[in-house]
Amino acid sequence: MKLLPHWVSRPALAALVAAVAIGAVVPKVLGWSVYSQNQVTETFLFVAAALAWNWMGGYLGQVSFGHSAMFGLGGFISARLLLALHLPFWMAWIAGGLVAAGYALVWGHPTLRLRGPYFSIATIGVGEATRLVMTYWEDLTGGSSGLSLPITAGLKSELYWWALALMALVIAGSYALRKSTFGLGLLAIKSDVDAAADVGISPTLMQDIVLLLSGFTVGVCGAFYASFQNFIEPGDMFGFDRSISFVLMAVIGGVGTIIGPAFGALVFVILRQYLIGSYPQLYLGIYGLLLIVVILFEPLGMMGLFFRIGRRFGLLRPEVEATLEAKAAVGGAAADPGARTGGPP
Amino acid sequence: MTVILRAEGLSKRFGGLKAVDSVDLQLNDGEILGVIGPNGAGKTTLFSMIAGSIPPTSGRVVLEGKVISGGSPRRAVRAGVVRTHQIVRPFQNLTVLENVMVGAIYGKARPLGARERALELLDFCSLRERAPQLPGGLTLAGRKRLELARALATEPRVLLLDEVIAGVNPAEALQMTDLIRSVREKRRLSIILIEHVMPAVMRLSDRVIVLDAGKKIAEGKPPQVVKDPRVIAAYLGESASEAALGPGSLPTPVSGSGPASHPTPSSNPTPISSSPSKKGPGGRP
Repeated sequence: MKLLPHWVSRPALAALVAAVAIGAVVPKVLGWSVYSQNQVTETFLFVAAALAWNWMGGYLGQVSFGHSAMFGLGGFISARLLLALHLPFWMAWIAGGLVAAGYALVWGHPTLRLRGPYFSIATIGVGEATRLVMTYWEDLTGGSSGLSLPITAGLKSELYWWALALMALVIAGSYALRKSTFGLGLLAIKSDVDAAADVGISPTLMQDIVLLLSGFTVGVCGAFYASFQNFIEPGDMFGFDRSISFVLMAVIGGVGTIIGPAFGALVFVILRQYLIGSYPQLYLGIYGLLLIVVILFEPLGMMGLFFRIGRRFGLLRPEVEATLEAKAAVGGAAADPGARTGGPP
Repeated sequence: MTVILRAEGLSKRFGGLKAVDSVDLQLNDGEILGVIGPNGAGKTTLFSMIAGSIPPTSGRVVLEGKVISGGSPRRAVRAGVVRTHQIVRPFQNLTVLENVMVGAIYGKARPLGARERALELLDFCSLRERAPQLPGGLTLAGRKRLELARALATEPRVLLLDEVIAGVNPAEALQMTDLIRSVREKRRLSIILIEHVMPAVMRLSDRVIVLDAGKKIAEGKPPQVVKDPRVIAAYLGESASEAALGPGSLPTPVSGSGPASHPTPSSNPTPISSSPSKKGPGGRP
């Protein structure tokens, strides 16, 4: 059968289809309360956002602390469109995503020449500048009093299926961006931009494409979030802790892996629910602590643990584990510093 | 003999430093051209300009009538010029096979059959059984062969090899020399070779050009070039006996002899390389 590209593995496809089927059936069978179903919807949403962040931070090794800019922009553009033009909400989401993608390209195209920490620092600036502008741009965002969206309870429960579909699409996209020949090029760029360029890759073009995809998806997630929340305000949508939350989800789950950020998002949502309820003043500090612990002891997060367990029980051959870990590692050279020999040229 | 690649008045200025100073060179079809010169002579900068990684300050590079300099490395690769790196730069996060596949896919934008072409090249470079491993596990010689295989995967007409022999043991050096020869013979490529290991340069090159302080100071058949007084002066200093062989410097292969005695390849089992300028008080006054 030649329907599928050669890099699609049948078991992976089957697993995705099964997961979506389970997700579609479970709420009917279990008869969830409205509250629990909304929790799951929000989790799906953050799974999608964390995976889209990971395309930049994990696949390209360009860790962004400014993704709240696209999240917020997608949210407010779609909210305005919903309020002013009464578009169907999915149309407003796509419009929000497109504007977010365009904005990502505007700041990302010049800053993606920077690599590593330099890029990350630039994204902090972008995120904060965007937050400030948006807080004062009252015609768009309603300023600090925010915007209210007319959402009925019926629509809100319908959003579960939309979130499921969005998440499934983004998981499929994550798989494609890693396993396709395009993904091989991204890994080469992450490892060594100049060497990649010297064998004919155009790093600028490929990084811009990933940035557009990531910005679009996070923008759609922001738009979805706006529809889901009834009320949005710039401080929450564009806030720095919003950006950090994407980083955290990816790092907890396994930055640079295909599916890790999805697990990270799950843990993040549960943890936040508990922390905001019990220790609202502490929760940012605890996130920071968690970030440090994960990076120190298991840089690949939960996926790193899974790899270890897999090897321990003989499910994963050591050399397979090694290649998986190398592909996930941020910065290819960092995976094996001893491999480079000689001094600077 | 037809000229395949021509550099015309190629210069590169970094601030006040003229790294390469109007160098002309031509590469004939099927030829191996050696580029030698002391450290800092501008050899690698010359390569970077030919390969499109840095734009020349002035001058241009023409491949079969088409200007390839001043664009991107991709333009040069698409046209058929590819380089390897002096310090090997394998993609550490990809397997040996995937490393070569990147070249096969992106070199000429031909993803179809990339895997087969990559495997064939791994055979050619004696890396077939290493295909599923990460490059970190290869020896330096292995990584240099990987660098070569990845470059060949882009299906070049002209191959720029930056010190692919230096730093490996004598047996591996011999293997690499044979490999370079068979690249030329079996794959019909033209090659420009930067190399410090003199015996290899002398054996491989049809012609040699010598760079010193960014300028081309000599050009010709290998045996003539090493006898050229300007070349000897560039390597060993104007008054070699004091400058290069003074106290504290390492004994050089031509130790005990002045500039009059010529460092010919046959009498030089060890590279003359640039030991005077590396370790001694400096090859040039």
